[in-house]
Amino acid sequence: MHKIIAVIRREFIERVRTRAFMIGTLLGPVFFIAMAVIPGLLLSRGSAGRRVAVIDATTGDFGARVESALAAAKEGTGANAKAKYFPIRIQSAPSRVREVLDSLVPKTGLPEKESALDGILIVDESGVTTGKVSYFGVNVGSLEDMGQLRAALTPLMITERLRRSGVDPALALGATMPVDLETRKVSDGKLTGESGAATFGLAYAMGIILYMALVLYGTQVMVSIIEEKSNRIVEVLVSSLTPFQMMLGKVLGVGLVSLVQIATWATAATLLSKNQGRILGFFGVSGAGSGMGFSFPSMPTGLLIVFFVFFVLGFLLYSSAYAAIGAMCSTVQETQQAQMPIMMCTLVGWFSTFALLKDPTSSFAKIAGFIPPLAPFVIPVRYSLAPIPLSELLLSIGLTILGLLIVVWFASKIYRTGILMYGKRASFRDVLRWVSAS
Amino acid sequence: MDDTVLRVEHITKRFAGHTAVEDLSLEVKKGGIFGLLGPNGAGKSTTIRMIMNIIMPDEGKIVVFGESSASRDLSHRIGYLPEERGLYPKMRVLDQLTFLGETKGISRSSARTKAGQWLGRLGLGDWSTKKVNDLSKGMQQKVQFIGALLHDPELVILDEPFSGLDPVNSQVMKDVVVEIARQGRTVLFSTHIMEQAEKMCDRIVIIARGKKVVDGSLADIKQEFGGRHVALTFTKNSDRAARVLQDKRLVRRVDDYGASAEVELAPGAEGDVLLGTLVREGVGLSRFEIVEASLQSIFIQKVGAEAASVPAREVVNA
Repeated sequence: MHKIIAVIRREFIERVRTRAFMIGTLLGPVFFIAMAVIPGLLLSRGSAGRRVAVIDATTGDFGARVESALAAAKEGTGANAKAKYFPIRIQSAPSRVREVLDSLVPKTGLPEKESALDGILIVDESGVTTGKVSYFGVNVGSLEDMGQLRAALTPLMITERLRRSGVDPALALGATMPVDLETRKVSDGKLTGESGAATFGLAYAMGIILYMALVLYGTQVMVSIIEEKSNRIVEVLVSSLTPFQMMLGKVLGVGLVSLVQIATWATAATLLSKNQGRILGFFGVSGAGSGMGFSFPSMPTGLLIVFFVFFVLGFLLYSSAYAAIGAMCSTVQETQQAQMPIMMCTLVGWFSTFALLKDPTSSFAKIAGFIPPLAPFVIPVRYSLAPIPLSELLLSIGLTILGLLIVVWFASKIYRTGILMYGKRASFRDVLRWVSAS
Repeated sequence: MDDTVLRVEHITKRFAGHTAVEDLSLEVKKGGIFGLLGPNGAGKSTTIRMIMNIIMPDEGKIVVFGESSASRDLSHRIGYLPEERGLYPKMRVLDQLTFLGETKGISRSSARTKAGQWLGRLGLGDWSTKKVNDLSKGMQQKVQFIGALLHDPELVILDEPFSGLDPVNSQVMKDVVVEIARQGRTVLFSTHIMEQAEKMCDRIVIIARGKKVVDGSLADIKQEFGGRHVALTFTKNSDRAARVLQDKRLVRRVDDYGASAEVELAPGAEGDVLLGTLVREGVGLSRFEIVEASLQSIFIQKVGAEAASVPAREVVNA
């Protein structure tokens, strides 16, 4: 026991002392700040106040209504709201539309010129019936911009058509009011105050964090075993430590490092989201964008525990497997091929979280939760989206622990023999022989 | 009470395609310096690794301190310097030694204190907070040597301890080894440098191609080897001496080093006849001494022919 602690301590201290750890730990919060600030910056400077020419080839006042609807569209809310468009209406005879367009195109998309246009919108009579509207602009590649434009025009079209069929404009306006779905998540019989988007974001973020952490730290275990082999330090260690002590000490040491790093990041993210307004203000981003920016949703205690349990189980499972791969190989290059099976497992685990985001209650989600290499990804994500019965949760934990024990058993067998093999990489047949030897 | 520290009984180890160690037995008594000698590829390191429980013999058994447990469980009583030196390159020297001490089962604080004392003694005091990387090869070797001795082991096993060391460092390490033996502890070391073994060892085993060739105390081995030997050192005309030494009536076997030679007299030949002949030929001599056979010549004669024919692939597992 004393010896294992010595190995864990060495592994932990030497790792925490490295520059890579310092940089990695500090870069996390920088990344979070960037996540919070950049969307704000983009929203507040990028798309606001587009100059749009509206070529009006309609006979009635539809063109004028489009102009005033665009002029009324705002970016942001409250006092910080800014105009989204600066529309300029140009009347034109239907036959001359082409001519007007040709004369406007050379004035479009010139960022240096103050008076240049950002886009040209053409509305005509046939468009009112067919719904066809042409837009020429610099931002046609932006799905968001186009979506907003479409959303602004659609109700205008509908009310116009209804009006022409003789429906009272006020009634038409009321009838076309779209559904504004406001979502709030319920968990454990309580309102959490989170929106649907935040829940989705949290589940998505957990999937990424689990995937990155398991691969990142698992690979660290693998690489450091290869380093010990190539330094020949194993020869000294193995004369006083059992291979199992060496492997367990290494896995737990790296595991502690990962927990410290992730806890640091989580704390930083929480502090940042609490002080989001202040930080955004510091970067000169008005509160306007803050609603759309990054926010770290609060994690309910239950989810926190589930995440922690499965992170630890997943880490032990994967890093033991990585340790075995490290013991089998002599150089990092050799591991590329040997670690394929593990890479596949982590990828499948991660991708199955996408399926979960679509439907957390599907039978796939249920089954994946009982497969040990997938459960560490699937269960926390699923738990964040929909409640999981306690019995199912415990069964999943039990099965994962069983899977973990099997992997550790295999890994320690491989480790014991592989660690003293220098030179060539062991074939999978060699490995089977090591495992079957008592 | 049995004073056998280590007993190796009929061990055999085969690697894919060849036998590295075959039916080897040896016994190391408490105290003194035991030499495990042999040419490159003889199986010295394989034997030591089996003693250290790093690899398992295919046949036979190894008993350390008369106990049934494996040497790894007794690692607090054994110090080991492997042939393949290895340290964590980015760790500081003192931290490294503290860790090595802890893996041998001594407490962190006492490992630290002892490591500090040893570093001071071997002239590395100023380097204790430096990274291992920043040390020269010789210094690293001393650090590893300290790692093997830190926990005051009763049995110290050193695999080629002097290889790659300059004369000064070699001297320092030799002094430490001798001191350990004086304290009543046991040292087992392997080498292929016979002069060193001859000066230091009480008992030796010579192995070649995995088999034991010679076993016994140095004095017994020399006596058993017998013959009358003459050590010569020339000051001039050594080319003429070479001719004289070709004379089969006087000399049975010669080991010519150019400026000196070791000669085994032919049966019936007398030393003074050889001396007379050399002087008559005008050979300048600064040494003419009737001696016991040197370990070097015993070694060459016992294993020379065999050692020369070691297949290439066996050397890999030296």
